[in-house]
Amino acid sequence: MRFTIQRDKLITSVQDVMKAISSRTAIPILTGMKIEAKQHGITLTGSDSDISIESFIPTEKNGEIYVENIEEGSIVIHARYFPDIIRKLPENTVQIEVDEQLQVTIRSGKAEFSLNGQDADEYPLLPQVETDNSFQMPTDLLKYMIKQTVFAVSSMETRPILTGVKFTLEKGKLNFTATDSHRLASRDVPIDAGELEFSNVVVPGKSLNELNKILDDTEEMVEISVTENQILFKTEHLNFLSRLLDGNYPETSRLIPTQSKTTIFTKTKELIQAIDRAALLAKEDRNNVVRLTTLDNNMIEIMSNSPEIGHVTEEVPIQSMEGEELKISFSSKYVLEGLRAIHADEVKIEFTGAMRPFIIKPINGDEILQLILPVRTY
Amino acid sequence: MKTWSEATEVQPLVSKIMINSIQKGRLSHAYLFQGERGTGKSSLALLLAKTLFCEHKTGVEPCHECVMCKRIESGNHPDVHWIEPDGQSIKIAQIEELQKEFAYTGLESNQKVYIIKDADTLTVNAANRILKFLEEPSRETTAMMLTENSQSILPTIRSRCQMLDLRPLNPVHFQQQLIEEDIPKSNARLLSALTNNLHDAHELHQDESFVQARRLVIQLIEMFTRDSDDAYLFIHQKWIPFFKDRLEQEQALDLLLLAFRDLLYFHIDKKDSIVFFEQNDERLDQFILSFTEESMIYILQYILEAKRKLKQHVQPTLVMEQLTLQIQR
Amino acid sequence: MLQFKPQKGRIIFHIDMNCFYASVEMAYDKKLKGKALAIAGNPEERKGIIVTSSYEARAKGVKTTMPLWQARKLCPNLMVKRPNFERYRKASRKIFQLLSEITPLVEPVSIDEGYLDVTEVDYPRGSIQLAKDLQQAIKNRLDLPCSIGIAPNKFLAKTASDMKKPMGITVLRKRELNEKLWPLPIEKMHGVGQKTAEKLHSIQIKTIGDLAKKDVYILKQLLGINGERLNNRANGIDPRIVDPKAVHEFKSIGSSQTLPRDTTDEQVIVQLMKQLSLQVERRIKRKQSSGRTVQLMIRFQDRNTITRSKTLPSYIDNEEDIMSVAYELFKTHWDGKPIRLIGITLQDIEEKKNIVHQLDLFTYEKEEGKEKLQTAIQELTSKYGENPFKQLDEQPKDEQPRTSFQKDFLDDYLK
Repeated sequence: MRFTIQRDKLITSVQDVMKAISSRTAIPILTGMKIEAKQHGITLTGSDSDISIESFIPTEKNGEIYVENIEEGSIVIHARYFPDIIRKLPENTVQIEVDEQLQVTIRSGKAEFSLNGQDADEYPLLPQVETDNSFQMPTDLLKYMIKQTVFAVSSMETRPILTGVKFTLEKGKLNFTATDSHRLASRDVPIDAGELEFSNVVVPGKSLNELNKILDDTEEMVEISVTENQILFKTEHLNFLSRLLDGNYPETSRLIPTQSKTTIFTKTKELIQAIDRAALLAKEDRNNVVRLTTLDNNMIEIMSNSPEIGHVTEEVPIQSMEGEELKISFSSKYVLEGLRAIHADEVKIEFTGAMRPFIIKPINGDEILQLILPVRTY
Repeated sequence: MKTWSEATEVQPLVSKIMINSIQKGRLSHAYLFQGERGTGKSSLALLLAKTLFCEHKTGVEPCHECVMCKRIESGNHPDVHWIEPDGQSIKIAQIEELQKEFAYTGLESNQKVYIIKDADTLTVNAANRILKFLEEPSRETTAMMLTENSQSILPTIRSRCQMLDLRPLNPVHFQQQLIEEDIPKSNARLLSALTNNLHDAHELHQDESFVQARRLVIQLIEMFTRDSDDAYLFIHQKWIPFFKDRLEQEQALDLLLLAFRDLLYFHIDKKDSIVFFEQNDERLDQFILSFTEESMIYILQYILEAKRKLKQHVQPTLVMEQLTLQIQR
Repeated sequence: MLQFKPQKGRIIFHIDMNCFYASVEMAYDKKLKGKALAIAGNPEERKGIIVTSSYEARAKGVKTTMPLWQARKLCPNLMVKRPNFERYRKASRKIFQLLSEITPLVEPVSIDEGYLDVTEVDYPRGSIQLAKDLQQAIKNRLDLPCSIGIAPNKFLAKTASDMKKPMGITVLRKRELNEKLWPLPIEKMHGVGQKTAEKLHSIQIKTIGDLAKKDVYILKQLLGINGERLNNRANGIDPRIVDPKAVHEFKSIGSSQTLPRDTTDEQVIVQLMKQLSLQVERRIKRKQSSGRTVQLMIRFQDRNTITRSKTLPSYIDNEEDIMSVAYELFKTHWDGKPIRLIGITLQDIEEKKNIVHQLDLFTYEKEEGKEKLQTAIQELTSKYGENPFKQLDEQPKDEQPRTSFQKDFLDDYLK
């Protein structure tokens, strides 16, 4: 294997790929970075087995040559030294060459490094994109969907399947659902995916957080394909793969109330601020509990009480209200996170009783839903 | 034991069961391999893992060449998980890591293999966590637990695994193997009597102090045939200082046992069974003049008893002093 | 009449009921008075050991924790009664009610002893007369004997109450330490157990006086911080206040019981666990509290004891929930060896009014159902009196004192 490459292109790629590499891994080869040279470009791969990132550097783009003198081949280089070496090389181009003994020589100007490589055959085989099993969506929309749901995944390992976000593609609609069993976030987006449908694809929340970090906020398309055991997100130069969570995601749709007894219409910002103030006196070890009481004249009361600290009450004007009177207690943390994730100026909150889940939605639209379970006080 | 045909020679019964299951596609989800050190538990586990993943099998035999086989061998296959004690026992962190792994799909496919070495060191809690997983056999998962001490395995685990008993190795077969690996015949005999682990045998063979140990045993027997007071002195001056830890002391007694057993064999004209001495060693003629057949049987018993005491942590000098007195009597 | 009124400092009473269980039985059944009486756990079974006995029985050599058969040998006409915990609890409550009539500064320590801070009590005839009148009141109204120690602090008060039994009143002044306290053997000192006594012997401390005079530094080396504390007490210094709230700070409620015989029979074990869980439920509910850590204790045949616990995200208070966690702990940690004793304890206790419970998406409907049923029962109960749907209860009503850590009833007198 041999090629000469623009150093800045290589640095960017290496940085991306390094995000997937962990020094603590049970599989020795994963401490390394795989480099594969083909005539049309160079692919770098890093993986901690949960997520894998492939970065592609094309031979040329828009007439600019990135890579030249390519002799095809592949190698795994230990990731501990490689990134620093590349960063500190003197010239703008780097030549990388591998001999029969898997010895890697890195040259730039008068600097020459020699590293021991490992056989690329030892590296995990990652699934390839199958275009007939994939669909596309704008990158920024995907990031948006992730942000609106992933915060609601469970952080407890007692029910591992809930640590992931469930992806469903059905009837031209892509849905993300996440719940930690105390609140649930759900987001729908219409997608043109042809015949493609799937359900019960559960992507670890940790992977999605990583993906969100690595993707740029662009309108460019990301191609998503799902295999039996991995999900792949493909942008122009980057492939992001994640293993899935094994097992059946619990059915949640029938647990979401469809009717409401009390509905409040309110400005999102005002409500967020009032609850945030009340939460100042709510104790964390008691679920940050805040109580909401409906009043007459389109007012609600937000209250919090900690015997040791003090008491706070605030009357908050709302747009309007329908249905029965209500007094309900809930975790301010969950409600604030839900309200913020909605990204709407005005919301409606639908209650069905003090002991039942309530739903926050944008005032006009069903595409996003934040469901929250109240707390029971004795 | 790299292939099933090799395995069949070493562990005929177990290999037959497994080959049969592979052929019929009826592999169990959980196996418990139990057998002494060196009986091939890890080799069998490795072989089965390769058989499960290899894409170029000939019959049941994996090819050992493909990327699957090669990576399983090197420990780089991401869906073959080895769990072995980190120190005294398998740690909670290891079990937590394992549990996380249980929750995920495989990296390359949904086929996964878990191999748990020294499974008897699992805590009750850890074992139960694994069991919980084994109770859901819906997945394409194969778990193999390896142990030298199946009695320490929880009954609940045992009942959920298919048990495979590995038999102690056939010494003749083992001896042959050692000779094939360039160990001189006389040494191969003795080594095969001492261990059935190939690795251990090679190590002993190359160990300088093993030669010295052998020499000390012969000297001790010589002492017994001569003036009796010398033997007692010899124990204090040579024997005890040389064999320092308990393992070495036990091994020294093993050697002494084999040496006296040889004398007995020589006595009753079963020269073929001699392992410690050369069959035509002239010293044998001389040594047996000092011991009657009956006394040698007693001596063998005393040595076994001494070994037991060492195991029970009786002070080694005391054990050897007593043994010396008993042999001299 | 000697007046006892120190210039400064406090006046602390320690009230110690004499042979409490036996005395309660005698008060209940006058025929037992003056007889050798012992209270013992299940008389038929092997765990039948003496819980307590009357002075008449003690005179014959009967001692607490002695097996029943041995006690009978020493005292052939010994009368044996099973403990009746409800009865003792009632008596205890009445005693503390009586004490709290004198001052709110009452600190119950156990079912049959407590401290009183009477410094501020303005009793015209002085504190000693107050003690005498109190003792008499308990005797007259409840027919129960007690001893009272009077001293400037808790340690001395407790020491004093121990000096004269039954029906004693002992004053222990600081200036009397060298004649009343210091000659006592070190084993007699409260807070000095067998182990500590042995350690103290090793540095030639035989009496409390030896301890008082010993260099604090040496004691600290031997016993740590406790060394200094014991030295202070031996010198009559004890800064602990009488804290009426101490009893509220119960951290756990637990029950344990020995099996009739060591067993590996899971059915038998589970049966006992259910019984224990139910006992815990009853007691936690009486406190109107919930807990969220369940601790399981297993003592094996070889007396090896393990305790394992699990903390839950939410508070629980009923048998079903306690049992399910205890059973999970049991399944996870039992290695199949024969079991002698099981204990189940609910920890992390909080009063219900301070608890909030986060509802769960997957279980809220079930909880809601239960809630409705509870409300309905409450409504009917207020209409028709006690719970008309009371579950049939197969267990005997008399709960026995099984372990000394059952202190959760001690503030009942306040209700």
